[in-house]
Amino acid sequence: MTAEQAIEPIAPQQPATLLEARNLRKTYRLSRRNQVEALRGVDLDIHRGEMVAIMGPSGSGKSTLMHILGLLHGPDRDGGPPPELRINGQEVGSLPDRARTRMRADTMGFVFQSYNLVSTLTALENVSLAGEYAGVPRGRARDAAMAALGWVGLAERHGHRPMELSGGEQQRVALARSLVNEPMLLLADEPTGNLDSARSQEVLQMLRRFNRERGQTLLLVTHDSEVGETCDRIIHMRDGLVDGVEPRSA
Amino acid sequence: MRLLRELSRRKLRTTLTILGITIGIWALVVFSSMANKINALVDGGSQYFAGKVLVTDKSSVGVGIGGAPMSTDVADQIAGLDGVAAAVPEVQMIYDPEGGGGFGGSETIIGSVAGADQGHETFPLNPVQGRLLTPDDEGSDVVVMGSDLGRKEKMQPGDHVRIRGTDFQVVGLLEPTLTAPDSSAFMPLAAAQQLFHDSLPAQIRQAIPANQVISQVVVYPQSGVGEDVVAKRIEADVDNASTLTGTEFDQQVGSATAIFNAIIIGVAVISLVVGGLSVINTMAMSVAERTREIGIKRAIGGSRGRIIRELVTEAGLIGLIGGLIGLGLGGLVVVIANEAGRDSGTVLFQLTWGTAAFALAFSTILGILAGLIPAWSAARLDPVEALRYE
Repeated sequence: MTAEQAIEPIAPQQPATLLEARNLRKTYRLSRRNQVEALRGVDLDIHRGEMVAIMGPSGSGKSTLMHILGLLHGPDRDGGPPPELRINGQEVGSLPDRARTRMRADTMGFVFQSYNLVSTLTALENVSLAGEYAGVPRGRARDAAMAALGWVGLAERHGHRPMELSGGEQQRVALARSLVNEPMLLLADEPTGNLDSARSQEVLQMLRRFNRERGQTLLLVTHDSEVGETCDRIIHMRDGLVDGVEPRSA
Repeated sequence: MRLLRELSRRKLRTTLTILGITIGIWALVVFSSMANKINALVDGGSQYFAGKVLVTDKSSVGVGIGGAPMSTDVADQIAGLDGVAAAVPEVQMIYDPEGGGGFGGSETIIGSVAGADQGHETFPLNPVQGRLLTPDDEGSDVVVMGSDLGRKEKMQPGDHVRIRGTDFQVVGLLEPTLTAPDSSAFMPLAAAQQLFHDSLPAQIRQAIPANQVISQVVVYPQSGVGEDVVAKRIEADVDNASTLTGTEFDQQVGSATAIFNAIIIGVAVISLVVGGLSVINTMAMSVAERTREIGIKRAIGGSRGRIIRELVTEAGLIGLIGGLIGLGLGGLVVVIANEAGRDSGTVLFQLTWGTAAFALAFSTILGILAGLIPAWSAARLDPVEALRYE
């Protein structure tokens, strides 16, 4: 099966704004006197089908923002106007852990800088795990995982474990894992940070292709301006605040 | 299946964890088997002595190794007492004066006239090969061997064996009883009297003929008459008679073995606790090592419940595997030690189904509990924090 055959466009859905964030704050209390204000009130809108880069120097709060948007963290409730976070029009900022986990499994895909594959599982098992967590029966999750590995060109390597794969291949497996449930939103935290420029380009073009061909909304954190160039918009962050938005016409 | 595959890919950690459990369960199985054997011995003795009174001469040292010589007159006198249904004169003596005593009592010769109990004996003795003694055997040198003794002497019915210098023909082998009769040789009273007489000092030999010498009388009270009542009556009316009732046996022998038993069970409990703690420790380490993996799984949508279930299932499986291996090794030790000990009459262990089932259930539940605590705390971690874990 070729990658092109397997990819079908996602049907357009309402509303046009996929992700709406208001007043996002996060303070890490490292000790009684040492507090880090990672986010100091971020407002953000991400539209359906967009490919957006979040850029900024380290410590600017971009990863924290990504974690909150990806429901891995909750925003802080105190010390400011109440935070709002809506995905697909649904308020999700105050959901309990179980519902947030469910939402992560069903509507989001994650790609991390350090791949984060489970080392004892094969490529196929890693990808199919995401399907199983979303409630897909094991057999069907396996088929879907095989298809997803086909999209990233790794169908032949499905039986290999992460340590038997190159960095670029591991990141493609992680990409397949993030795509297997056909999520509305793909969140990538420095997806090319550990790759050389050739592998970087490969992964980036794949991300771009999935975004274009399937209308997959893509939010990626990077400090690589080349990566930013490929996106529709760049959100610049500095000191826990949005410093500016740079529209691009890719 | 996938779980087993995953475990096999984490060979070192899995092997070490399983090894820890294996050792604990192995110790549990071995010590429990030892306790089982002692319990069976005590229970058997208790069952054997229940409802009867054993009469020996006052100068006798103790029970079971043969008393000082008495006259058959004593048996006749006891038989005439009120409340006595039957009084069976017996000779009990050490089977091999050269050999050491085995575990749970020496091998003994028991000589009595078959059927003299007039059906009052309730302790079941059944032949597994050959036959039991009959009254017609009186006057011939035949022997029926208990299961352990028969195996030790490698005897079959029809074989001949020298006991204390006399040639005997084996006519039967008994089923295992797990207690004293297993290491006993049963022979007609007259034959045993001759052996006993030969073993006595010359002065006594001259004072009493062989056919009148015995070492104990087994007294069966009439139904409705308490054994302690009969025992008191015998001690009052018969000179130099010392009695032991079933109740007294339970008190004397029972309390002595209870202490021994408590020591063994104590050792087993300590090995359990130590084994259990090491399982909890290994399991906690193994879960902690996988904090990052747990973070990954949480991030891609694995719920807390699901993660805990995965880890706990794995821990239970590790416990079960460790339990199976420990049980296997423990069983092997029991079989080998018993086989090696059989030649010297030392059968130390008894592995029961109950012990085996307990060992497996214990290791599995211990694994589950040991996995539950770290799994629960790991699944509660913030996924981002877990992902940062190195």
